Amino acid sequence: MILALLLGTLYGLIIGLIPAAGATTGLIILFGLMSYFSDPYLGVIFCMAVVAASTTGDTYSGILLGIPGANSAAATMVDGHPLAQQGKATYALTAAITTSTVNGLLWGTLTFALLPWYTKLMMIFGIPEMWAFVMLALVCVGFVSNKFWIRSLIAIGIGLFLGMIGTNPVTNADRWTFGWEYLGAGIQIMPMVAGLFAFPEILDGLKKRDATTTKHNTSGQTLDGIKAVWKYKWDAIRGGAIGAFIGFLPGLGGAMGDWMAYGSTVAANPKEEFGKGNIRGVIGSEGANNSQKATSMIPTVLFGIPGASFAAVLLALFMTLGFELGTPDLAYDMRFFDSLTFGFMWATVLVGIICITFNRYISMISYVRYRYYFPALVVFITWACAQYTGGWEDYAILILCSVLGVFCKEYKYSRPALLMAFILAAKVEALTIQMTTLYTIETLMTRPIFIILIITIIALATLSIKKNKLEYA
Amino acid sequence: MKKLLTLCLMAFTTSALADYIFVVPQKPGGGTSQWAQIVATQLEPFLGENITIKHIPGARDIPGFNKFHNSLRTSNKIIMVSNGGNGVSFLQEKVDYDYRDYDSIGLMNLNIIAAKRIGENMDYPKFSAGSGKVPEAWAMALLICGPGLTMNEYLACFKEHVTWVNGMSNSERRLAFKRGELNGTRENPAAYKKHVETDENAEIWFHHGILQADGSHADDPNHPGFQLEILFEERWDVEPSGEFYDAYKLVKSFRDGMQKALWVNKGNPNTFLLRNALHQMSLDPDAIAAIEKKVGKYEWKIGDEGNAQVDTLMSFITPKALINLIHFNKEALGLASVYKEKLIE
Repeated sequence: MILALLLGTLYGLIIGLIPAAGATTGLIILFGLMSYFSDPYLGVIFCMAVVAASTTGDTYSGILLGIPGANSAAATMVDGHPLAQQGKATYALTAAITTSTVNGLLWGTLTFALLPWYTKLMMIFGIPEMWAFVMLALVCVGFVSNKFWIRSLIAIGIGLFLGMIGTNPVTNADRWTFGWEYLGAGIQIMPMVAGLFAFPEILDGLKKRDATTTKHNTSGQTLDGIKAVWKYKWDAIRGGAIGAFIGFLPGLGGAMGDWMAYGSTVAANPKEEFGKGNIRGVIGSEGANNSQKATSMIPTVLFGIPGASFAAVLLALFMTLGFELGTPDLAYDMRFFDSLTFGFMWATVLVGIICITFNRYISMISYVRYRYYFPALVVFITWACAQYTGGWEDYAILILCSVLGVFCKEYKYSRPALLMAFILAAKVEALTIQMTTLYTIETLMTRPIFIILIITIIALATLSIKKNKLEYA
Repeated sequence: MKKLLTLCLMAFTTSALADYIFVVPQKPGGGTSQWAQIVATQLEPFLGENITIKHIPGARDIPGFNKFHNSLRTSNKIIMVSNGGNGVSFLQEKVDYDYRDYDSIGLMNLNIIAAKRIGENMDYPKFSAGSGKVPEAWAMALLICGPGLTMNEYLACFKEHVTWVNGMSNSERRLAFKRGELNGTRENPAAYKKHVETDENAEIWFHHGILQADGSHADDPNHPGFQLEILFEERWDVEPSGEFYDAYKLVKSFRDGMQKALWVNKGNPNTFLLRNALHQMSLDPDAIAAIEKKVGKYEWKIGDEGNAQVDTLMSFITPKALINLIHFNKEALGLASVYKEKLIE
């Protein structure tokens, strides 16, 4: 049991450290190994440890390199990477990991202890509410992350266009694929993340021919990071609650939770400057990181309906272990629930301890010149992106996305907005179709949560246009 | 660490010594991928050789099957794993693959079951759309609109009665059904057990029946009395028949009659060996129990029985049935279906 936990934690941490990889990639690779678990419950512990550890681990490349470890860690790097450039990598990392760990434990406890109680709550949120949440996420990332809001709108437009390449949900025919069969299933998420963020940063690093920072002053940063979490505990708690809520809603989660948490932190602190190394930005977004992973398990376990992309893979992995999530039989299998809880919670604790202990050593990479480690980075990122088909098409898409990323960075078109729109494009289209098919204006007006969300969207967009000074692109 | 190294070594050696390859047209984790993994594990001891899974994902599971058809099938060790969606695409989309060019190793003849919310008026169903639900659309039109209508009358009746909701993934559909935003849904037998039988507000609506060797459809012993043909006769006092019914039979048979199937190229010298191993596996209660846990209790058609099933299915393809299928799919369901003349040849 302990061995499964340790191996899962170590493997998850390594996967989390690879830019553009993340929990989903890490889990996909495991399919061939599941049959080697003599006791399937050990497989459950292993998988949950991978989820918890990779989620925490993906913070590193965001803060240290300015490259999100997974799409969900993009918000953290907006303020985290500038801190690393100021020689405060250990400070930022410790604050991020502490927030992530505490929220993981808090929401993990609430999730696994109260699992059967969530069923009725989930039924309250219908298609209109999901649509409004998606719109809120786009507003958060589009208007909050960049003061050039017109360019953000253009970036959102490009992201939506790219995200809608693939199959038309109505006609079920290929759309905008230019006759290229590979594009029929759409552009994959990993090359988009890597292309938008990884390669522009790598090129930037090579151009500067320098390390992320030259300021060698790590003393006291670990303690300062922990103290910062306590000082800004409300940002951490708010971020955690937002992430937990988004994770709870099936099919959302991931990047959306982090950006909404970041957006709420910016909105709650209008007098502060963000995007240039504000620790509250790191704490706010990281709050959502592990909490949304924990609550994503609610629809996955209760209904067999995946709460996020990693949960869909997890569902299939558990199936190969003989556990069919969402079935009543499993509800009585206490050993299964114990294994879920044990794997997630202890891996969260373990990876938190490992990371905080070794942060000051790991963050030394920010003092190393880019040219010494960029080849390894390129190899790892390319490997992660070629996990889809392994064919030349995967590499071609990565190159095209990288060109787009370099362009957006150069001309300050919000890359987070583009990525978020790309991720949510299918949801935006599908939910819009569903809502307009099943509801009328009159029936929508009878849904109070929907109305509140629409008002919030309008208010947030208006305030952000007037007051936002962030320049991150 | 030692165990990790052992696991890695085992994974590597398994891959290096692999003798047979199952080509799955999906990403790891998809329904057919899971089925292929289970069957491969159960089949290996009877085959005496290793089987690895090669995923070739792509839109609507077509590119993987096309690749098998265009380049991979000449290899004697490559086996294609297909699903019911491939069958529907074969009828109405421009695909390269053609079942007539392959030998069946074995296939599972499943049934798809439609459910409804208890107490709902199912003359006005709200149902999730998609090419995988085409047979349900046809079944609903028959059941609701009755016998003896022209094609255009069925079209108008469907549009008037059915709210066809596009853009839903399987998970969204299930949740929308649980929440009551949809009042109808459909599942394969295993998913039906999981998502419908556990829902106190849901009950069976109809099922399509199980394809027989003579081309008829029999009632499903797991859900007796709910076959569409039986319900139709109960409601309208006549058996379903006519052009509309023929097109319905065509599309439901191509989806459900080849829900999960294994193929090799015609003339593959390993065909007998593979069929024999699959036959041996089908006699093993433990192996079958492991597969049934995933898909439910349905029979295998192995070897020549599988080929005979393909012949039966091809006999459903008539110019009129195909034209009607494409017409209804385009006009009522909004699908970009294409008429494929070569299917008639």
